[in-house]
Amino acid sequence: MSVWLAVSVLVAGGAAAVVRFLVSRALPVGPGRLPLGVLIVNVTGSLIGGVVLGLAERAAVSEDVQLILLTGVCGGLTTFSTWSVETVELALTGRWRAGIVNLIGTLLLGFLVCAAGYLLSR
Amino acid sequence: MRLAPAVFLGGTVGTGLRLGIDQALPHADTAFPVSTLVVNTIGALMLGWLVAGLWTRPGLPPWLKAAVGAGVLGSFTTYSTVMVSLVALGSAGFPALGWVYLAATLLLGFGAAALGLRLGNRLRHRPLPTIPDAGRTL
Repeated sequence: MSVWLAVSVLVAGGAAAVVRFLVSRALPVGPGRLPLGVLIVNVTGSLIGGVVLGLAERAAVSEDVQLILLTGVCGGLTTFSTWSVETVELALTGRWRAGIVNLIGTLLLGFLVCAAGYLLSR
Repeated sequence: MRLAPAVFLGGTVGTGLRLGIDQALPHADTAFPVSTLVVNTIGALMLGWLVAGLWTRPGLPPWLKAAVGAGVLGSFTTYSTVMVSLVALGSAGFPALGWVYLAATLLLGFGAAALGLRLGNRLRHRPLPTIPDAGRTL
């Protein structure tokens, strides 16, 4: 991998992290409520990831651009750590319903938009 | 917005670490995505540990939380790659492997988050007990 490609992936990841930060700041989580900001970025990133996967299948994007978009943009925009920690915290504080909705809702929405993006773009 | 540069720098570090692990543990589109499982498990453990422990201490600068939490660990771990791998495995005719991967991700990832929160609790900031009448009766 060239240095420029690696730098591009890193900068894309850093910029996407800022977008995630600003979205979750704009939608602060009340105690026991659904962490909506993280849900939004995770679902959005999954949609972009699905579209890139579909475009890659018919070789519409180069491998370098794939790496920048998937590892950089989508990887930086979405997060597993915040999603899992916030969901476990909801369960541990007795907010079972919000925790289960956050777990199942994120999984269903993320998978559906990713699959839809893939099927529509391939 | 003041914290954006800290998040950006942390984000480049987290993305770089994930990229490095992806390169060290490469896998085909139709194979089990070990590298993503590794980063998500480690990242969830560390974030849980920080959230329950160190971050409860007063006086911790906000830029540090933003850089390490939203920046490094947020970008180190990824949700979209899990979904992309599930769709890729399903469409390539390996749905069973997809289910195994999803189960492993939830079990290890959420288990790591819970373990991290538990370990972090030991470092939780506990204010010193105050004696209401101190000064008058002592």
